[in-house]
Amino acid sequence: MNTRIPLRSLSMLIALILICAFFAVKQPVFLSARNLSLLSIELSVTAILALGMLLVLLPGHIDLSAGSGVGLTGAVAAVMVFDARWPAPVALLLAAVMAVVVWGAMGALIVRQKIPAFIITLGGLLVFKGLHWLVIRNQTIPVVEGGKENIYSLLTTYYLPPIVGAGLGLAVVAAQVYSSQSARKRRISYGFQVDDGETNFLKLFVGAQLVLLLVLIANQYRGLPLAAVILGLVAYATHVITQHTPFGRYLYAVGGNEEAALISGVPIQRTVIGAFGLMGLIVALGGFMETAYSGASTSTVGSLMELDAVAACVIGGTSLRGGRGTVPGVIFGALIMATLLNGLTLMAVSPEIKYIARGVVLALAVWVDVKLAGK
Amino acid sequence: MSEQPRLTTRALHKRFGGVIALKGVDFELAPGEVHALCGENGAGKSTLIKLLGGIHPFGGYEGEITVEGKRAEFKTPGDADAAGIAVIFQELALIPEMTVAENLLLAHAPIRGGLIDWNAVYQRAREILNEAEIDLDPTATVESLGIGQRQLVEIAKAIGKKSKVLILDEPTAALTDQEVKALLALVKRYKAAGISCIYISHKLDEVFAVSDRITVLRDGSSIITLDASKTRESEVIKHMVGRDIEDLFPRRKSEPGKPLLRVKDLYVAKKSGEQPFLQNIDFEVRAGEVLGIGGLMGAGRTELLMHMFGVWGVRHSGSVELDGEQVKGQTPQQLLDKGMALVSEDRKRHGLILSASIGFHLTLSKLASVTQSNGLINDALEHNIEEKLFKSLRIKARDLETVVGTLSGGNQQKVVLGKALHTGPKVLLLDEPTRGIDVGAKIEVYELINRMTAEGKAVILVSSELPELLGMSDRIYILHEGKASGPFKPSEVTQERLLAAAMGKEREKQAS
Repeated sequence: MNTRIPLRSLSMLIALILICAFFAVKQPVFLSARNLSLLSIELSVTAILALGMLLVLLPGHIDLSAGSGVGLTGAVAAVMVFDARWPAPVALLLAAVMAVVVWGAMGALIVRQKIPAFIITLGGLLVFKGLHWLVIRNQTIPVVEGGKENIYSLLTTYYLPPIVGAGLGLAVVAAQVYSSQSARKRRISYGFQVDDGETNFLKLFVGAQLVLLLVLIANQYRGLPLAAVILGLVAYATHVITQHTPFGRYLYAVGGNEEAALISGVPIQRTVIGAFGLMGLIVALGGFMETAYSGASTSTVGSLMELDAVAACVIGGTSLRGGRGTVPGVIFGALIMATLLNGLTLMAVSPEIKYIARGVVLALAVWVDVKLAGK
Repeated sequence: MSEQPRLTTRALHKRFGGVIALKGVDFELAPGEVHALCGENGAGKSTLIKLLGGIHPFGGYEGEITVEGKRAEFKTPGDADAAGIAVIFQELALIPEMTVAENLLLAHAPIRGGLIDWNAVYQRAREILNEAEIDLDPTATVESLGIGQRQLVEIAKAIGKKSKVLILDEPTAALTDQEVKALLALVKRYKAAGISCIYISHKLDEVFAVSDRITVLRDGSSIITLDASKTRESEVIKHMVGRDIEDLFPRRKSEPGKPLLRVKDLYVAKKSGEQPFLQNIDFEVRAGEVLGIGGLMGAGRTELLMHMFGVWGVRHSGSVELDGEQVKGQTPQQLLDKGMALVSEDRKRHGLILSASIGFHLTLSKLASVTQSNGLINDALEHNIEEKLFKSLRIKARDLETVVGTLSGGNQQKVVLGKALHTGPKVLLLDEPTRGIDVGAKIEVYELINRMTAEGKAVILVSSELPELLGMSDRIYILHEGKASGPFKPSEVTQERLLAAAMGKEREKQAS
């Protein structure tokens, strides 16, 4: 039997290509090395948050406070660095620990006190926003003193030297080829279905090309952005956690059927609290990167980012009811959302229209997915 | 049967992608006839009634359906409805928060001046219930009714629509014996009024009690149509499985060892502050033994197992001991570690994650067994373990990656059993392990129970089917309203006596 790539998984790729083609025609600068480098940084923040969102959506919950959390954690770290003059690594670590504790506590409230995640994190959205504005006293707090650099500001301003970037790209491709080939061999030995050789090669080839293309383009500008490397690491870690650890299995089990999971001996409370704890860590990371990207903590940093994260997950095939979703899907969804925002910004579209366009694309994407799923 | 048949199907074929669900079903339903459909799960019964009910639309199958001699082309359930065919599925299509009357008249409420005429709604509902000879309060909310009564609401809905063909899919799966009797009587009365009925059930005694003819489906084909009055159960079973079945209950006794589970003077309430529902429960199960627990629905069987497994109720007094260790307040996770496993009654609710694969389930309850010291799951090791379970349980599926939601009931049950077995339990609690699964799979479950006891494990078998209880248990307790009577020895007790105990008669006798 010849395996065909189902139209459903292709549809988002086609959508992405159409979106890119549209912007490339309307605004040729879209395809410039500089813009694509910036896009990869913007993507990194959106995608990292979306990966965290995946961890809480899988067990059937949601985090509406992620955007406010981005603003707050970035602000806390900025204040520690700029006002209190603490070393940046210490500030980042403290802010991250704080986020893990707070998000873990939200998880505990959800699963122990049986308050819906929607409500708890909606409360979080408001509280964190208020705290964020309190912390920065409605001012602009830079992440580093003017003209200097620290690890905080470097998060989104450091670029890998071209030679290192190229080496890293090649290493990633090699690892991709090796792991996919060994997984394929294993699946054949298990008697599972695999793609035929041609499709398998094509998938690998396209994947490898994308990675190398990214490195090549980035090297034409300043090199591979550190942010993209961080995204790669977070994506890999999230993939391993969800697919290769007991905790990951539990995430799917709790979201798929909580009662059955309980009877099966799944530690539901630990799983949900763990998912939110990790979300806290990711919110902190996203917060540092987003704040660094803006150069300073202001009252608008992170605003509404939780919705982009949810949208990226949903476009990538994650179920809001839990139990369904994958890392590659989420990255793809984030790519669509980030590309859209970047392109619209290039075209100097007004913020009003940007919101409307993103909303329409989200609804459209899910509609197409539902239509194709029914086939 | 010289009259024109009310409904026929000829050479029906239906496929879902690569899977052939029906490959030649010829079936005929006479006016005023009750015609039973028998067959193992996956034989094609559900697919057939979905074609008849317009759920799988015309154009998606080959062959012909006729209603009163005319070719029928149902494109929607509404078309089937209009042709007088009403299908009552196991999963009822009622809105729990609404009243009986609202549910009956949901789609066509009497309107006056643009608003719903509530007086007319209740009056019309009363008329429908009268006509259907069903005694229900139209103002009661559906959620306040038992499963049996809810089913009656669905039936009344069909009668209200003047349906000429009533299709009942496993209508008694969740009913008490009394409710079953009432339902069968109702079907017979409709039959006298000229309504035809297609009756689908795994319970052959009901099938014989109510039907005129029996059509057996196997592997998507209609095998034979039998005259119920001239046929024996064994013949139907033979056609269903396609082979002879000598012994339905192949219980092999094993030598009882030390007690593995001891329950002493147990009193358990549903919630704190309430009177205990389970009262004075007292028994022990030894290694190598099967303890049967019977009783009607709601007698406390499931609650007893769920309590022992740490997911139901608040204990007032008494104790549960698992292999010498006190069990109180532990989570299912801890109990699984200690060697107790539960296979619950409601597979889809408590047993399975329908969107996940077979392999996902088999190791879920003990992932520690396949996790390396670095925290990652060892794929090869896991696959080995899963493959062994998959083969030894004879799960019928393409491979371990098959999603369990697509499996038949029997295979789903094997997955749930496999999930419990992988934890290596000393005590296995089985709550209705053969409900809704076909004869072949049932026997495999029985064989599994034999294997467990031969390995020195203790099994508690909860069942509503008395022959199963008598055939598979070494000792039997019967629950009635949370109190136990027994033990009964299967060799010394009749079905009648067990039934009496289940209805509370035995305890009265003991008390007097």
